[in-house]
Amino acid sequence: MSKKVSKPGSMSRRRLLATAGAAIAASPLGASMLQAQQAPIRIGMSMPQTGGLAGGGKASLLGIEIWRDDINAKGGLLGRKVELVVYDDKSSASETPAIYSKLIDVDKVDLLFAPYATVPTAPIMPMVKQRGLLLIGNFSFQVNSKIGHDMWFNNAPWGPPDSWASSFLDIGQKAGGKSMALLAADQEFAQNLAKTAREVAGKRNLPIVFDQAYPPNTVEFSSIIRALKATKPDIVYVASYPPDSAGILRAVNEIGVGDSVKVFGGGMVGLQFGAVMENMGSLLNGVVNYNSWLPEKSMYFEGTREFFDKYTKRAVEAKVDPLGYYLAPFGYASGQLIEQAVKAVGSLDQKALAKYLRENTHKTIVGPIAFSPDGERKETAVLQAQFRGVVDKNMEQFRSAGKQVILFPENLKSGELVAPFEAARK
Amino acid sequence: MTRNGIAFWTGAAVFLAAVFAMTQLVGNQYPFFAGYVILQFVALAVAWSILGGYAGYVNFGTSAFFGVGVYASVFLVNAFGAPLPVQILTGAAIGALMGFALGLLTLRMQGIFFSIATIALTIIIETTITNWRYVGGAAGIQIQRPAVTAPFDNYVQMLFFVQALLVVLAVAISRYIQNSWIGRGLQALRDDELAAECTGVPTLRLKLLACVISGALMCAVGAPSAMYLQYADPAGAFNLNYSVSTLAMSLIGGTAHWSGPIVGAILLGTTQQLLTVTISSEVNVLVLGVMLVLFVVGAPEGIIGLIRKLRGKGKEGEA
Repeated sequence: MSKKVSKPGSMSRRRLLATAGAAIAASPLGASMLQAQQAPIRIGMSMPQTGGLAGGGKASLLGIEIWRDDINAKGGLLGRKVELVVYDDKSSASETPAIYSKLIDVDKVDLLFAPYATVPTAPIMPMVKQRGLLLIGNFSFQVNSKIGHDMWFNNAPWGPPDSWASSFLDIGQKAGGKSMALLAADQEFAQNLAKTAREVAGKRNLPIVFDQAYPPNTVEFSSIIRALKATKPDIVYVASYPPDSAGILRAVNEIGVGDSVKVFGGGMVGLQFGAVMENMGSLLNGVVNYNSWLPEKSMYFEGTREFFDKYTKRAVEAKVDPLGYYLAPFGYASGQLIEQAVKAVGSLDQKALAKYLRENTHKTIVGPIAFSPDGERKETAVLQAQFRGVVDKNMEQFRSAGKQVILFPENLKSGELVAPFEAARK
Repeated sequence: MTRNGIAFWTGAAVFLAAVFAMTQLVGNQYPFFAGYVILQFVALAVAWSILGGYAGYVNFGTSAFFGVGVYASVFLVNAFGAPLPVQILTGAAIGALMGFALGLLTLRMQGIFFSIATIALTIIIETTITNWRYVGGAAGIQIQRPAVTAPFDNYVQMLFFVQALLVVLAVAISRYIQNSWIGRGLQALRDDELAAECTGVPTLRLKLLACVISGALMCAVGAPSAMYLQYADPAGAFNLNYSVSTLAMSLIGGTAHWSGPIVGAILLGTTQQLLTVTISSEVNVLVLGVMLVLFVVGAPEGIIGLIRKLRGKGKEGEA
């Protein structure tokens, strides 16, 4: 009997131990111990989700989120899950200093990504430099040239500042261009492009026969296009923003730019976004314009196709650009840069990560990336591509190769220029 | 000095002492970044209220004055490497001149026409700066901060303290105006400009004075902002958001008393900062909008007006 009694007694002792163990695990102390073992790696950033840059910002963020989900599905980084801490900067430079201070001082994130575009990024550059923090840039233009932060790495394909204008002028000059017309919006990015174009033209003794800046929000371009046409330029370099890009192409369609023009385009923002391209339709034909990624054969690297499969599905739900060629794959590539650096270094030591990023070439879904000392790409990977055979009101056509033929850079080239511009428009 | 005066200046001294102590004791930088923005809006709202509240001339040109302050600093830093006090004083001087010009406008325009003219002012100045390459033009400009001056060990902490000084200055001026003959004259001309003129109130002189003081203060507030951001672009510096927020803060707080804009700016400014780092999406714009509508419907004379109504007795004339 006593044995029988003692048996349940020992059982209950065991149960007591188990309960105590469970209680410790569930207590705040135990929980924090468990979390400490696998606290997530937090990547902080602001992203324009309202305001003028929101369209691009949201697409870019979706790219980063797809990377986060991929890496977490593979078990995370250093055995820890990856978590994003994202705030909306309202597309404004005045919001970002406080946001990044919150990320660094209050949230104490492990790594920082920059917001999409130059303006919101500019005010945080001195801050990250002062604190010695690694920052992965997101399509800002020459934001580090004055600051000289050696832990800045831009995911954009820009490369050296003058390469953009050089590549376009190369194409124009090869087609027999001997003079240039310059038309640029009075806004930050367009003016930066115009400035480098003037410098490159000056070096090459290429006369600028027309140089016009127009105020933002201009909608009617017929007088400007008439004045441009009257100067009979061979190369027309346009640096414009989405609403004006559409206005300029409409005016060109009505008035024409003359038979002298060999190439037209170069720095027109907006012609990379699905909705704008769908709206413009056949007006796009013949235009040679910059881009960052296009669905041409030469542009597919390891993981690119899988990325776009996921993006296309999630873009509908996230209500962002259905094509997403311009920014989203580069957001994913930002993540890949960090992934490779952290794996190689084996820790989150910012200095070591920066050293690794500076000294190596990194495989990403947008091709190999190597950085020069200023944190921009060593070589430009900005595409110059010509629109061909585009029909009206059809978004899906842009998913197939051949609609935007890559003329530059050489290693990614998928066709030859059709010139003059008037002939290419047909 | 009256009892109220002693209380006010004691309060101001305690506020400045607290701000100073905070810069010496708090290591975390975020409160200074967020606090700077809130203080900036307090000073702007108080300055706006001198013309918009007391005189009843609704000025949509806050962003014009603010932006000119920013670009005055950018120019001075670029050309001479001028220190912060020089930037603020020059900003104030330019703002006073601009205010004078704006005051002359009131000779011909009143009510809605004056307000529209102030929007035009913003656009004209922004276009000018956009085309002025020396200060960066449309592309914007990055500027480097000089070394920080003791006893501060961080530039943002110093800016936070400087902005607190500007707030005290603006509030002191606003309070003085309200309690002096200037305030009574402005109130008279707000109620009926013609009647005021007929009873011997020097309306033009008063309007000019209000414009000059309000303009100088708003420009002075803009000046340190260049150093805060270390970057300036016309679209940011002349953002209409400054005008709209300032106006909303003054109206929500109440324009009849000098403390109204302070209450409004602290409430709205803090909410904006909190929403940016909490909800942080399109929803925060909605929340602000709903808040505005609620206040306009529930408290048309602002929080100060609401408090007075709840107390059941007007305390006009006191401060």
